Amino acid sequence: MWLGLFTVDVLFAQSPQACDCLIKGTVKDRETGQAIVGAILIVEGTNRNAITDTEGRYKIDKLCQGNYTIECKIIGYKTVKASVSLIHSAEEDINLTEEEVHLQDVEITAHRVQSSLSQKTIALEGKALEQNQGQTLGDALKVLNGVTLLQTGASIAKPVIHGLHSNRILIMNNGIRQEGQQWGSEHAPEIDPFVAKRVTVVQGASGVRYGSDAIGGVILVDPDELPKHSKISGEANIAAFSNGRMGVISGTLQGGISSWKGWAWRIQGTLKNGGNIRTPDYFLANTGVKEHNFSLTTGYRNSKVGAEVFYSQFHTNIGIFSGSHIGSTSDLLNVIKNGEPFIKAAFEREIERPNQLINHDLLKAKAFYNIGANRLTWTFGRQFNRRAEYDLHGPQAATKPALLFRLTTYTSDLVFEHAPIKGAINGQIGLSGLYQYNFTDGRPLIPDFDQANIGLFVIERWVRNQWELEAGLRYDWRQLDIFKFVGSTLSPRQHQFSSWSGTLGSVWNATEELSMRVNVGSAWRPPSPNELYSKGVHHGAAAYEEGNDQMQPETAYNLIGSIDYNRKHWQVEVGIYHNLIQNYIYLKPQAEPILTVRGAFPYFKYVQTNASFTGVDVDTRWEIIPKKLTHTAKISYLKAYDLQEKGYLVLIPANRIENTLKYNWAQVGKWENFYLSLTHLWVAQQKRVPPNSDFVDPPAAYHLWSVLIGGDWNKSIGWSLTAQNILDTAYRDYLNRFRYYSLEQGRNVSLRIKWNF
Amino acid sequence: MNRLHFSWALVLTLALVTSCKKEEPAPEDENELITTVRLKFTENGTTTTQTFDWKDLDGEGGNAPTIASVGLKTNRTYKLEIEFLNESVTPVDNITEEIKEEADEHLVVITPQPANLLTYTYDDKDSRNYPIGLTGKIVTTSAATGTLQVQLRHQPPVGGVAVKNGTATPGSDDANVTFNVVVAP
Repeated sequence: MWLGLFTVDVLFAQSPQACDCLIKGTVKDRETGQAIVGAILIVEGTNRNAITDTEGRYKIDKLCQGNYTIECKIIGYKTVKASVSLIHSAEEDINLTEEEVHLQDVEITAHRVQSSLSQKTIALEGKALEQNQGQTLGDALKVLNGVTLLQTGASIAKPVIHGLHSNRILIMNNGIRQEGQQWGSEHAPEIDPFVAKRVTVVQGASGVRYGSDAIGGVILVDPDELPKHSKISGEANIAAFSNGRMGVISGTLQGGISSWKGWAWRIQGTLKNGGNIRTPDYFLANTGVKEHNFSLTTGYRNSKVGAEVFYSQFHTNIGIFSGSHIGSTSDLLNVIKNGEPFIKAAFEREIERPNQLINHDLLKAKAFYNIGANRLTWTFGRQFNRRAEYDLHGPQAATKPALLFRLTTYTSDLVFEHAPIKGAINGQIGLSGLYQYNFTDGRPLIPDFDQANIGLFVIERWVRNQWELEAGLRYDWRQLDIFKFVGSTLSPRQHQFSSWSGTLGSVWNATEELSMRVNVGSAWRPPSPNELYSKGVHHGAAAYEEGNDQMQPETAYNLIGSIDYNRKHWQVEVGIYHNLIQNYIYLKPQAEPILTVRGAFPYFKYVQTNASFTGVDVDTRWEIIPKKLTHTAKISYLKAYDLQEKGYLVLIPANRIENTLKYNWAQVGKWENFYLSLTHLWVAQQKRVPPNSDFVDPPAAYHLWSVLIGGDWNKSIGWSLTAQNILDTAYRDYLNRFRYYSLEQGRNVSLRIKWNF
Repeated sequence: MNRLHFSWALVLTLALVTSCKKEEPAPEDENELITTVRLKFTENGTTTTQTFDWKDLDGEGGNAPTIASVGLKTNRTYKLEIEFLNESVTPVDNITEEIKEEADEHLVVITPQPANLLTYTYDDKDSRNYPIGLTGKIVTTSAATGTLQVQLRHQPPVGGVAVKNGTATPGSDDANVTFNVVVAP
């Protein structure tokens, strides 16, 4: 019975000496993620034991090689036992579940690591996730080093990993690949971040495990496991933001069914309402957002089989800043020349045109069956994405959207995880299928299409001494049927694409303090329908864009390595990557403009080249005063290069450095874990841009200051108060399409309260 | 018992899947297309109307637009009527009517180049007494050649507040075309 509670992350270290082995880890509450202080760990059959410290950490050293069972117990929680095969040293992070009287089994369950171990992953969970909840998924993710945002105003944010975004990263929402209209820069992920208990970013190409599109990385959005006890519990979140006067409430209720052992359920919902965003100098007309989402989960599991059904709906109405609507190139040049919007608005909650109305439904069913130590898992998903875009445009518009996309996607994945071979080789083999169809109505942009994809993969992992090796291979085949109309005559087209992907990686735990990992991975991405068939003016970008139906798939070869040096009071992690993308698709400016009824537009064609993305991410942490004053720094450097044209690429995030100083108080009056932090972010000007590729030079470098105060009250209530851009700095960001029209948003003070019950 | 629940869940899922039905693809229809900007000049005191079209029947891209050259006589006064049409559909969609209906949020801006090529004055008003520009007056003087830019500005209210103020500044271009003009004796 290896189900979902126990993070088994066995790291082998140190040279082989018979009785110099070590086991260490952290004990946390499974529900809240908080460290458990004073839990007792006993190594069965020895007289060795330890008690967790104030941060939930424990360490038992001078153990001999062998197989051990460790027991972890504390009053109020279920006792947990774990088997550890100790050759050198091991790390066991234990999550405890609150005890329930009539539950007798002691279950030890393993949290299976979804991603490749040799690839660098960074996760946002617990307090760090809570402090960033309330805005979009992208806003929460941007605190992670190496992740930036591609924005269309303040309310549409797409995550960018190592300079790649949209179709070049993949989002796995609760284990299902998110299929919206990702190709659009103004199409944000249709996910309620409050569903997630953990958001993980896998950096680098991960085509083997996740299939096409995982070129820059993968974002895993994972909810908590269903509860294992019948007691009803839940949480309520409230967040209020001064800018846009936005309010968000989100709640979760979950429990079991006492008469049906093994069944559990959860309901979750979120409401959001925000009005016009304010820059330091003026309000931005029509920048409100309204959102209502819910999700339902129910499942059954015992030691042998389990099944879960998840259903969620996401609805949002996003106002698009009306000053960004341009009809012609001269409109755009006029507003750039003016330096600020021509029409300044007051605060307003009402959303008018232009706006986007987006619905996303997801139905997921998952079942597993354990055959001895083997496990077979089947995951099925059906998604329906409806995106209606309303233009500012009259005179005929009435209630019909200018553009309507309806995308339906079915996914089905079958994964077999085999029992360890000779105790050292773990692995899985999987078959994954996808079928989707899209209807586009309104302004001609992309044709209707349907496509089917089949992928077969195998990943094996070998662990010995301080070394872990990993290798995987995948083959994908895709057929894309295009229903293109010439006039009113259907002229269907068919494309077939196929690709191999591979991964090879290694982890070396040199010592207890030093570990290194390196991975070479590949991933592919077939050209998307807009890159093949788009033909028309991209409003807002003021460009005439034309696809090319002869385009070949993109293939990424990514080398990523990281070094982690972890001392007691300081830690440094350095990640280096080089991503080579063959047939990289981009928009190339053409010499002659296109003359339309709205004047002349610059003419861009989708073409392919070879591009490289090279960068370094550095994370440091230093406890200046142990347990009290901490300094953290994040440095991110990226250089993207067009290898054929020998020039730079457009829209690459600028280099940046972030410094944070945080002071913790264990107790202030009735408040526990009280903290105050000050953050400074410096973003450089992007100087590596191709000449004559844009209407205006990239904006200047900027400095942003923010302050965060927070704490817990009575253990069940956590709160935080954040002031972003506290100095109300006026700035523009290169990756925000609205840099042409307006400043970025000004000061935003937010209060977040979370109540666990 | 447990197996039973499990299989019911599967049956339910499959039922949901198979109950969906797919529709047939249909051609896109652009509900906003302007293919033709038509200038109709009528010399004062006559009933003879000269018509000049800026025409791009296949919309953006594809075939280049055809643009008539405007020929006017020196020292005359003309009535200028402007029509906006979508000629890519049958029957032809006359967008001018809809501009009249929403006159409070539209403005036609006429810009001669050089500025002394001719003079233009508005001859129609919306409900707030601002010009619309579908009807106007053109006065020519000496012989000259130049261009005439015709912009249809869409100026819808922002936050419920009307923004049309008689100038080109607010809003965005619904049409922005340029004709060559020859003024000769």
